[in-house]
Amino acid sequence: MKKVLMLFLAAVTLGFTSCNSNDDENGIVIDGIDLSKDVDCCSAEEALQVYKFLQTVHYIPELSTSVDGLYDVKAFSKTGTLHRGYNDLYFVVTKKKTGNYVKFFDIKNVTPLMNMVKMNMWHSTPVGGALEVLDTKRPAVKHGWVSLLMNTSEAGYWQFSYDIEVLGSKGRVEDQVVNVEALLEGQDWLKSFKVGNDTYYLSLVNPNDWKTGTNAIQAYISKKSSPATTPYAVAAETFTVEIDPRMPDMGNHTSPGNVALAKQPNGSYQGSINLTMTGLWRIHLTVKDAQGNVVAGGDSQKDGFSSLYWDVTL
Amino acid sequence: MLSLTPETIWFLFASKNFINEYMLSVLFISSLFLLPDTFTTSSHAIDEVVVVSVAGQGRTRSFKGQVASIDEHLSEFSHVNLVRRGSYAWEPVVNNMATERVATTIDGMKIFYACTDKMDPVTSYVESSNLQSILLNSGLNGNPQSTGNIGGSLDLKLRRVGFDGDLFHLNADAGYETNGHLQVYGADGAVSTPRFYANAGFFYRHADNYKEGGGREVQFSKFQKVNAFANAGVKLADMDIVEGTFIFDRATDVGYPALNMDVAKAEAFITSLSYRHLWPEGFLNSWETKAYYNHITHIMDDTTRPDVEIHMDMPGKSWTSGLYSLLSASNGRHDMQVNYDLYYNRLFADMTMYPGGAAPMYMVTWPDVGTLNTGLALTDVVSLTDRQSLKVSAKLAWQTQRLNNDEGYHALRVFFPGMKQRYHQVTGRVALNYQLSILNSQLNFGAGWGSRAPTVTEAYGYYLNNTFDQYDYIGNPRLKNESAIELNGAYKLSVLNSRLTFGLDANAFFFSNYIIGQFENRLSAMTVDAEGVKVYGNLGHATIVNTSFSAGWKLLTWMAWNTRLSYAIGRDDEEDPLPLISPFAYTSHLSFSYKHFQGKVEVRGNSRQVNYGKKYGETVSPAWAVVGISGQYTLPVQGHDLTLRAGVENLADKRYTTYADWCDIPQKGRNVYVNLSVQL
Repeated sequence: MKKVLMLFLAAVTLGFTSCNSNDDENGIVIDGIDLSKDVDCCSAEEALQVYKFLQTVHYIPELSTSVDGLYDVKAFSKTGTLHRGYNDLYFVVTKKKTGNYVKFFDIKNVTPLMNMVKMNMWHSTPVGGALEVLDTKRPAVKHGWVSLLMNTSEAGYWQFSYDIEVLGSKGRVEDQVVNVEALLEGQDWLKSFKVGNDTYYLSLVNPNDWKTGTNAIQAYISKKSSPATTPYAVAAETFTVEIDPRMPDMGNHTSPGNVALAKQPNGSYQGSINLTMTGLWRIHLTVKDAQGNVVAGGDSQKDGFSSLYWDVTL
Repeated sequence: MLSLTPETIWFLFASKNFINEYMLSVLFISSLFLLPDTFTTSSHAIDEVVVVSVAGQGRTRSFKGQVASIDEHLSEFSHVNLVRRGSYAWEPVVNNMATERVATTIDGMKIFYACTDKMDPVTSYVESSNLQSILLNSGLNGNPQSTGNIGGSLDLKLRRVGFDGDLFHLNADAGYETNGHLQVYGADGAVSTPRFYANAGFFYRHADNYKEGGGREVQFSKFQKVNAFANAGVKLADMDIVEGTFIFDRATDVGYPALNMDVAKAEAFITSLSYRHLWPEGFLNSWETKAYYNHITHIMDDTTRPDVEIHMDMPGKSWTSGLYSLLSASNGRHDMQVNYDLYYNRLFADMTMYPGGAAPMYMVTWPDVGTLNTGLALTDVVSLTDRQSLKVSAKLAWQTQRLNNDEGYHALRVFFPGMKQRYHQVTGRVALNYQLSILNSQLNFGAGWGSRAPTVTEAYGYYLNNTFDQYDYIGNPRLKNESAIELNGAYKLSVLNSRLTFGLDANAFFFSNYIIGQFENRLSAMTVDAEGVKVYGNLGHATIVNTSFSAGWKLLTWMAWNTRLSYAIGRDDEEDPLPLISPFAYTSHLSFSYKHFQGKVEVRGNSRQVNYGKKYGETVSPAWAVVGISGQYTLPVQGHDLTLRAGVENLADKRYTTYADWCDIPQKGRNVYVNLSVQL
């Protein structure tokens, strides 16, 4: 990392000086690193963006590996740990020799497995599809997600596996035990419902980013696989998720203008939620199928609200 | 100097001689008073408190003297009512219009309260000893610095000893009241030379919970207050004066029985520095430029209340900085003032709620609204003939407001997705008053138009719970300015060598875009137990009419009888009654004055409130009447004055509440007071 920073400081310095001189335009040459000639790697601008992005996330050592002694594969999450519910995962590959970011690599078959110790059973959990480039500005960062059903406890623990291919070299992370933390009280971002014999999971995406006011709300609906050790893919069916945010500590105060979550072309569900203050918000859910029939939630508990809900504490 | 129209009421802390002369009706009093531009602000024999209505109506005096609170002084005004939320910090209501429609200034300085629940009208941040007079201009005919004064403007004139007075002067007051064990102690001193003067003083009040009529204690009605002031003036040259004032005022542990919370601290710093140039002759009289700064910190407290469902912290802050420049000029016919003013005010309040065990809930209730306001005002009193005069006043003001707190801004955007972070408003007023004096009668009539911008609460307030109607109020940034046309008239007649006087007085305000909270059933209340949510909105039109009749009869040289009846109507756009409009009210008193003794027996009362604002959550207030007796004796001891005052309020110990008692909290029961003033 330090190397990269140095590189860009140098690049910036050179950029300035080049205004005053007539250097050739073959690129920046520092200590044998020739960015312009490494076609696998990022441009200076792209590398700077990746570097900046990596300042906002934290490294997960358990999920990191090296491939053929040539490449370092590093996994990141927001906090460097994983927790119950939805987690973004980011992967970055660097060349061991130069430290440069590699643009082209593939990560496949991300498989978290939980061992339920007492029953000696294994199950997987909702996982996003193939990892994708984070965005065009940062082509060297691959993004995926997992939504973990439970946290690590006496009841069980999680192991992660995935395959990686970098510029023809193949590698694998096998059965790495990763601790999964519980969420704090007042946070419950993963719920399930059943339609017939099928079990679906509602994973709320990163409500930690929410602020008082209007927020985009995003979720995934995944379907339990059979066998349960296969990662649960995003459900092919189309649903609508109506939301009714309430504050149980404030006499079930609510907010106006909330927009139900509707399925997007990328498979996620998106809507809009209004939060009038910080504190515990219980987001009561009504799930409808494509025909508009209520398939989950929408019932009335004692307090008059749906028993299917996420809890988010701002 | 200024001539007084019926809409102008002077409330003065005047000399004893003045009292004796003016116990009864005197129609023209302006020249006798200490007007702001008087060169020597003379008399520090400021011992008495007098309320004088130029209309010759309700002219009474507060027998408590300087020991009386500002609220008690204000309650002597005929155009003023006071909304009580406890025994401290009452909210002045002028012509049946409260804070939103009344401009309050301290010596022309803008100051804004810091509590979202109106626990601290700015009049609560000064003390009697700070003041020389309170000037109330009724209606749109405001004082030059006031902005948004549809109902009227109050200017609290700070007390200055002035130049060329007695070299040294000391004043001490002490008072005790049985009900609530109110104790008042005050002392101030003054130095005056031809080139320099200085005053400084200290005031302390303490009260326990008071008892309502019948003797039951009203919980959470205690308070404590300290106030200190200092001011000084220097003559740089014969006609150039620099003056500075400073007030520190802090109330602590103030109970508000009508609300769910009390106040831990309400604190104000008020400072100003001014420069005046005077012209002894010629067209120009004086030019005063003043720069000022004040800030208020207000911290509510519910920790002493039992059964609090959710503990809350609700601090509020207000700070204001500004200046005005006032040029006064006169010739034989014209008496003119031109005033430019500029101020910047910031209001921030937030609320943190602590539900047991769960995460705290936080919201911004006033989103750090910065208001920059500037205006130009003109006043001209034209003497048409010996008997006729015309007063013209006008002001144009522009303001811009910005929501400096992003969290508060985004929260409000939930309700108003299209709202902006900055708004501009233009407001103005113009008023004409004509006065005709014929023989022993005087006729006044006037007309005006004026507008006001919505207050910060009305435009940007966020879930402000109002215990009056149990609704949560949300501000509305889309509000239009409210405006009103005012018509007023007064007639005064004195017969039998001025021994018998009659007065009639009426004004009417025809509002457009009247701002009031409107039901919003689609929104959910935040406060537990609240009935629902109201959002401020503009009513197409509304009307408020105030009328009064007064009579005075000087029965004997030492005895006089005065009475005053008033009635008001407030109607919204559906002809339903507006809330907080006074029912039929009356006061009647016999006053005595013999040598050094003065006394008064008074009956005050209201009829049952027939037209109450049911639609707005108001409940009916029953009729009430109370009797009070008061007396005063002044003992001149070798040039030093010693004044003893005593009286009984609510003699029959009646339990009563008035329409202006928030949530029907009862008024004080029988109260005996004694106080003593010494001047050296």
